[in-house]
Amino acid sequence: MIAADNHQGSRALWRAASPVLLSVLGVALFTAPLLAFSRNVATSLVPIAYLIPVMFVATRWGIWPAMVASIAAMAAADFFFFAPLYSFRVDDPQEAVDLLLFLIVSMVSSNLASRLRQETERLRRSEKDMQALYDFSRRLASCFTIADLIAAIQEHFALAFGHPATFFVKRSDSNIEPPESRFVPPMVQAAATAMNSGVGPMSRTILDANRSGLWLLRAISSDDAIHGVIAVNVGIGSQQAIAIRTSRIEAILDETALTLQRLDIGKAMESARLHLQGQLLRDAFHGTLSHELCSPLAAIQGSASVLDSIPAIRSDPRIRALVDAISEETAQLGGYIRNLLSATRVTAGGLSPRLEWTDPRDILNGAARRRGRQLGAHRIEIAFADDLPLLHVDSGLIEEACGQILENAAKYSPSGSTISVDVRPEPERVIIRVSDQGVGITQDEQEKLGRRSFRGARHQASVPGSGLGFWIASIFVHANGGTISVHSEGQGQGTAVMIKLPAAASSPAMVACDE
Amino acid sequence: MSKPANVVLLIDDEPKIRRFLRAGFELNGFDVLEAENATEALKIATFSPPDLIVLDLALPDLHGAEVLERIRAWSNIPIIILSVAAGEDDKVRLLQAGADDYVVKPFGMAELLARSEASLRRYFKSTTETPVVVAGPLSVDLVTRTVSLNHSRLHLTRKEYRLLHVLAMHVGLVVTHDQLLKEIWSGNQRDNIQYLRILVRKLRQKIETDPNQPRLLITESGVGYRLQNRFDSVPVADRVS
Repeated sequence: MIAADNHQGSRALWRAASPVLLSVLGVALFTAPLLAFSRNVATSLVPIAYLIPVMFVATRWGIWPAMVASIAAMAAADFFFFAPLYSFRVDDPQEAVDLLLFLIVSMVSSNLASRLRQETERLRRSEKDMQALYDFSRRLASCFTIADLIAAIQEHFALAFGHPATFFVKRSDSNIEPPESRFVPPMVQAAATAMNSGVGPMSRTILDANRSGLWLLRAISSDDAIHGVIAVNVGIGSQQAIAIRTSRIEAILDETALTLQRLDIGKAMESARLHLQGQLLRDAFHGTLSHELCSPLAAIQGSASVLDSIPAIRSDPRIRALVDAISEETAQLGGYIRNLLSATRVTAGGLSPRLEWTDPRDILNGAARRRGRQLGAHRIEIAFADDLPLLHVDSGLIEEACGQILENAAKYSPSGSTISVDVRPEPERVIIRVSDQGVGITQDEQEKLGRRSFRGARHQASVPGSGLGFWIASIFVHANGGTISVHSEGQGQGTAVMIKLPAAASSPAMVACDE
Repeated sequence: MSKPANVVLLIDDEPKIRRFLRAGFELNGFDVLEAENATEALKIATFSPPDLIVLDLALPDLHGAEVLERIRAWSNIPIIILSVAAGEDDKVRLLQAGADDYVVKPFGMAELLARSEASLRRYFKSTTETPVVVAGPLSVDLVTRTVSLNHSRLHLTRKEYRLLHVLAMHVGLVVTHDQLLKEIWSGNQRDNIQYLRILVRKLRQKIETDPNQPRLLITESGVGYRLQNRFDSVPVADRVS
């Protein structure tokens, strides 16, 4: 570390001393040809010739080396060309005035020349800055994610300032990710953390971290969130240099903020586009399924029902069995299609319950009536408590949910067994309990039950189905502000499904509705 | 059969659907006309008016609802809508636009015939002499305003009778919540469906054998109520007892 410091120190010294040495050398080199032609040149013009190296030094290295060059040139002129030769003495007062005049002219011109140089330098640098900033903003225009943006900023800082910026990126758990290995003073880290969490100075701050100089910290935020904090080492230098650098950094960060806003708008547009696509897809799927699948199905089922009404067919048991088979299979197919439609409705986010006051009796009777065919082989016992309040639900969705549960109960319990439904009130809700005497479910199956398309491995071969039923039922119940749970004592012990739904606090006054 | 057959106009773009509908209606004594698009349908309905129209909503040239409105503009002829998995809102809108009833595809012929007969009965009711509506064990005399169940007189409150009266006028057909609320309360309670639910519950306790499993006063989920007058299909829960 010390060796490195020494090395750096000597390089800085060399950088400061070399222009001075070179300017003296330049004067010396210029003296040689002058000496060669000295016999042909008037002595009084020699100092004017020396203006050439002085101007060169002034435009090249600035005012101070030019001063040194002026003095060296005056000395050289005196030494080599003014009598007495090879001495610094000047006898003729006229010559002394000449030399003095040369020194003044030389110094004034050097000053002007060096200022011109500074101005040119400044112009060139600001042109370079503008170009870099322009490139940067073009690069930003092609950023589509926050990660792109960060990479672009890093690259630009490395290019423009020689060292990259430090990022404190906010993670999804709203802690900040520590910056990469580069050294960052602890006080800068602390300030960045404070800015990220929204405490302390919000948008920008400048810190003086003694050894490494000034740090500019700025929160990178869009309209709705802080994405992180960017910390830039402005470094050490004169107040003016710091001000220039700070304003350059600020310009870059302003561009960044604009891009972030654009990204946010972009993100919003993207999500809107995805939503629209989802909706179009859902509508298309709905339309196609409804038309392409339901129409032939309706024709088959309708035709079967017409055949079923013809006396000649009804009287022949063999033909009648065939007609019944057609009816049953189409009904089952219809059920699958209905499930698929429900599932698309759910996944595409198109489920908006239409809440209305409904009698729970109507819902369960409707569910049992609609599933008549699937429940045909079982005894269905529905018990309603006497004083049931009205439910505030989408009756269509809840009827479908109850139908799914009843159908599942029938599927997974032996023919001829009883499926009992018990509907009773609790404060501000109604509980529907559907229990069967079927195969029951294991603990492991209970955990997986809420997933889409889950089917118990034990029944995949023996019981037909898509596995969508319980999933659809649970989504429909939840959409109506209810809950659904499954209880089973285990394999072969039957299953009970409990649906809890929001209800009126009590039945509305019976008198009020009548007279 | 000495009386002339009723004529039904089938409007559906699917030939397969028309084929079985034609068979089903002809087997039940109807004469059948067919149209595969709205233009043709409107032409037939205008120049040779049928007694009944069965209208599919998905037509190639015009939406079924539009056809319904155009026919209703000049005719009170019974119209039954065929629809594919329509939402409750759509059903209510079509009924309010003047459809007599609807069946959702896929459906059985028996269901469609029941609706057809009910709507034809409503249509010709003004010309028939009997003011008594019979639904199973229930009979409602619309003129004397008396109701009897298994031949014994029932006592209903005024609103209970009003409800039953409206349903009996449309026996076999669905009546929307809105229509019932308007007919029964007319005043400031028109939006209160809770009152309607409770009134239905009370009426069921008087007319149904088991009010928990009604067979006469049927709920059409999300749409309205129907007074049932045919009992071919036995409700599932009935098999228990």
